[in-house]
Amino acid sequence: MNAEEMTFEESLKMLEQLVNELENGNLELDKALEIYEKAILLRDRCKKILDECDRKVQKMIETSEGIKKEDFVIE
Amino acid sequence: MAETITVTQLNTRVRSILSESKSINDIWVTGELSNVKKYTSGHYYFTLKDSTSEIRGVMFRQSRSRIDFEPQENMKVTAFGRVDLYVERGSYQFVVETMQRSGVGDLYLAYEALKKKLEAEGIFEISRKRPLPQYPKVIGVVTSPTGAVIHDIITTTRRLFPADILLYPAQVQGDGAAESIVKGIKALNKEKVDVLIVGRGGGSIEDLWAFNEEIVARAIVASEAPVISAVGHETDFTIADLAADVRAPTPTGAAELALRDRKEVKKHLETDMIRVNKALSRTLDRMHYRFKIVDSKLSPKRAEQRISLHSMRLDELHSRMNSALKERVGVMRRRFIRPDSSMDAIVRRKLENGRKDLQRYSERLESINPVKVLDRGYSLITDESGRTLTSAGQMKAGAGISIRMKDGKAEAEVKKVEMKQ
Repeated sequence: MNAEEMTFEESLKMLEQLVNELENGNLELDKALEIYEKAILLRDRCKKILDECDRKVQKMIETSEGIKKEDFVIE
Repeated sequence: MAETITVTQLNTRVRSILSESKSINDIWVTGELSNVKKYTSGHYYFTLKDSTSEIRGVMFRQSRSRIDFEPQENMKVTAFGRVDLYVERGSYQFVVETMQRSGVGDLYLAYEALKKKLEAEGIFEISRKRPLPQYPKVIGVVTSPTGAVIHDIITTTRRLFPADILLYPAQVQGDGAAESIVKGIKALNKEKVDVLIVGRGGGSIEDLWAFNEEIVARAIVASEAPVISAVGHETDFTIADLAADVRAPTPTGAAELALRDRKEVKKHLETDMIRVNKALSRTLDRMHYRFKIVDSKLSPKRAEQRISLHSMRLDELHSRMNSALKERVGVMRRRFIRPDSSMDAIVRRKLENGRKDLQRYSERLESINPVKVLDRGYSLITDESGRTLTSAGQMKAGAGISIRMKDGKAEAEVKKVEMKQ
């Protein structure tokens, strides 16, 4: 799966799987390095999600054409 | 003779009659409030009515402290007071000294009955409660867009794991509130939110009543996304609280239940990376150790030792092979010489026989050679084309013939042909 399409939870779960694999498996060096690289990628992905503060706060509005959403700002 | 009085006098007389009449003073009157207006003076003006009649009513500021609720539209009350007449207008009104909300007892009964019913259905069972998602992407909120609830949720989530918030602006009290909340729960589920917060601020049992309605409880149970209730009431649980997957005491608490603390998640991530690094360096150490073992085996000294060992072995093999080969060659040679002598005799005999045969055949061939016949006096006649003529019929008078004899030939011409009779 492409790391960019994964949710935080999926990324974290995969990261934990890789950690376990590294810890338990008697791995070939190449495989260990491959896993390490993947882990770094996932860590960066998780960090990016965590640091991204541009979350949306929206309000639903019922119109004649159905439900619409608009940004919601608290006073 | 009839008395003549002024309007003011009339109204004043009626006023005193009314105030002296025991049957309309210090009495309890039940009805519903409407047209409730609070003046800046602190007095309340309203209409008290039942299904067929109504009366103007007033509650002065001093009396307000006697009641523990805010008089509101459509509120069913039992008011204590007296009838008085407003002389200037000639209209009479009920002056309320205190009042109680009626029907509150009924609400409690309804609450208890519904709670029992849903309890029997197992709706409040712990086993039915769903776990909240660990990292929701969108949080749906059903509450008033103007209250403190949404404000507190938005403020609190800023320090939590980042997630979008989708608000369904619901009516959370009064007629139609329950329906509005149900609509919100359904609409947000359609938007596939990961978790729902349903709530409002604190209030009286009537204010919170929508959260005690069966349709709200059922909508919470039917919700695909887990529901956190945040109905601001510290002591009593509403039916919605009981039906929700988790109950939060405050909107801030609800946000904290929905989302993890950002710092804690980061710490968790760091711990994972420390484990990754440790595991990798362990793997590298192991590889290094294995390499060292192999490497030491490859050192020049070891190689020399091995090579001399091999070359000794090679020498040994070589000498063994040599002697084996020599032996084999000897055997072969012996086997080869023996047939050689016997074969020689056979071949010689065969050649001798062949020679004798040849001599014999040669003599026989000599005896049938036609040229030999000419030696004995015979001649060979051929025509001009060289064809041997063996019958007189082959000859014609005048034709040229060739006569071959033992030591030469002659050309002749046939004079006459006579055939044997």
